[in-house]
Amino acid sequence: MPIVLEKVSHHYRSGPQVSVALEDISLTIHDGELLALIGHTGSGKSTLAQHLNGLLEPTSGRVLLNGEDINQKGAQRRALRFRVGLVFQYPEHQLFEETVFKDIAFGPKNMGLTGQEIEQRVRGAMAQVGLDFEEMKDRSPFELSGGQMRRVALAGVLAIQPSVLVLDEPTAGLDPRARDYLLEDIRRLNREGTTVVMISHAMDDVARLATRVAVLEKGRLVMQGSVLEIFSQQERLAAMGLDIPAGFKLARRLREAGLDMADHAQPEEIADALAAAIRGGGGSAA
Amino acid sequence: MLRDITLGQYYPVDSPVHRLDPRLKIILTFLYIIAVFLVGNLLFYLPVAAYLVFAARMAKLPAGMMLRSLRPMRILLVITFVLNLFFFSGTQELVRVGSVVIWREGLINALIFTFRLIFLVTGSSILTLTTAPVTLTDGLERLASPLKVIKFPAHEMAMMMTIALRFIPTLMEEADKIMKAQTARGADFETGNLLARARAMIPLLVPLFISAFRRAGDLAMAMEARCYHGGEGRTRLHKLQYGRRDALALVSMLALYLLILLPGWLS
Repeated sequence: MPIVLEKVSHHYRSGPQVSVALEDISLTIHDGELLALIGHTGSGKSTLAQHLNGLLEPTSGRVLLNGEDINQKGAQRRALRFRVGLVFQYPEHQLFEETVFKDIAFGPKNMGLTGQEIEQRVRGAMAQVGLDFEEMKDRSPFELSGGQMRRVALAGVLAIQPSVLVLDEPTAGLDPRARDYLLEDIRRLNREGTTVVMISHAMDDVARLATRVAVLEKGRLVMQGSVLEIFSQQERLAAMGLDIPAGFKLARRLREAGLDMADHAQPEEIADALAAAIRGGGGSAA
Repeated sequence: MLRDITLGQYYPVDSPVHRLDPRLKIILTFLYIIAVFLVGNLLFYLPVAAYLVFAARMAKLPAGMMLRSLRPMRILLVITFVLNLFFFSGTQELVRVGSVVIWREGLINALIFTFRLIFLVTGSSILTLTTAPVTLTDGLERLASPLKVIKFPAHEMAMMMTIALRFIPTLMEEADKIMKAQTARGADFETGNLLARARAMIPLLVPLFISAFRRAGDLAMAMEARCYHGGEGRTRLHKLQYGRRDALALVSMLALYLLILLPGWLS
């Protein structure tokens, strides 16, 4: 279910002033990919995310889901929201029910599902984010740890079983362990077939997970490509105030130190390349 | 959807009226309101109206802005006018249609009461249009501080108002975000009957309250960390001080009083 953005612009109007949030964005989100959206604060990432499920309407341009304009008259907005799930920043701030079960069931209930289907979905969603159903279902979401609350909130969207999942800074504010768990959940979801769009400031996470990266600056789409293609252009990214993943920094420093070292997306690959270089450079050492 | 609501109506330009001491502005507004009530004669509404126009011009407020403050009052204005016009009986007949009579006194009364309302609303709107909310609460606190003698918590009141005003935009933004997030889960805030809609607000209100309490807790902690302990012995960064401008403004108000009271004394 590909999402195609055609020349999407979005202008905010506050009083007499018009500020441009998105300008002329054309982007295709392919089935099964994990697209990372990166950009400086205020570059329009979150605004773009809200266009993907029709929460915001473009000032001009079109958003097509499966070839259909989602904003055309008579479009089924609610049905659309069940196909494209959006997880906001700090989603745990939106929990409201008395129990974890009820909170996760909110989406399925809104879909008009009945008792057994709802329970199935809640079970499934909780399993997807690694929450034990029996242990957690009757607990209040407000007595959980930050990482667990975030998982409950994520499960609340997953229970809708969207085919595209949009995540706005999913790991912001989590401790390293909770972050690793969550990233693993996202990776697994993607492998199981959910298309994922992930907004992130954490370049290491992006390098780890993304199959493709799109860079926004001041509301414009300025770069898109594979992790390698994007992060090998450090100067361009630095000019936009963006960092590169630790692995790319390391490779760069090694090159500066005179080692023959290519860029790699995954830390493991760098380790292998480094080991090979040391062995090769050390000559007869091995 | 919540973005469209504007709170407070401060009109941020630089004018002599904007720079008046907020305490004096509050006092002047009260004096003006009293003046409006003192006048019971259409002719004397001329100086009252002139003063309003003068103040608005000095404050560089566009006429449309002033009229807009009357918009929420328009029904009340019409009712006031119509009731006085038709149900006030006098001695001099103006128009008679069947059994309905409009008396001269009725017309005059209708005009007086309607104008009184107009002057009241526009007059006090000059205060809120030219004074930033925080400055206004500052002025209120200083005016109310003599009441501390009778244990009136002037400082605490002002601090509460300031904090409340400060957090309105924050909470609006938060409400907008939560609303969107629940909409993304299929919540429906816009259709259904009254009961259904009230129910639909729960997923919005619960997180909003929780976040408000969390923010309140954080703020209290932050204030204590900086040794806030109420108003006692607290000094100010911006000290309010009356100046020449304030004296002139007071004189202008006295001139208005002279104009409306003098004829009565002389005759």
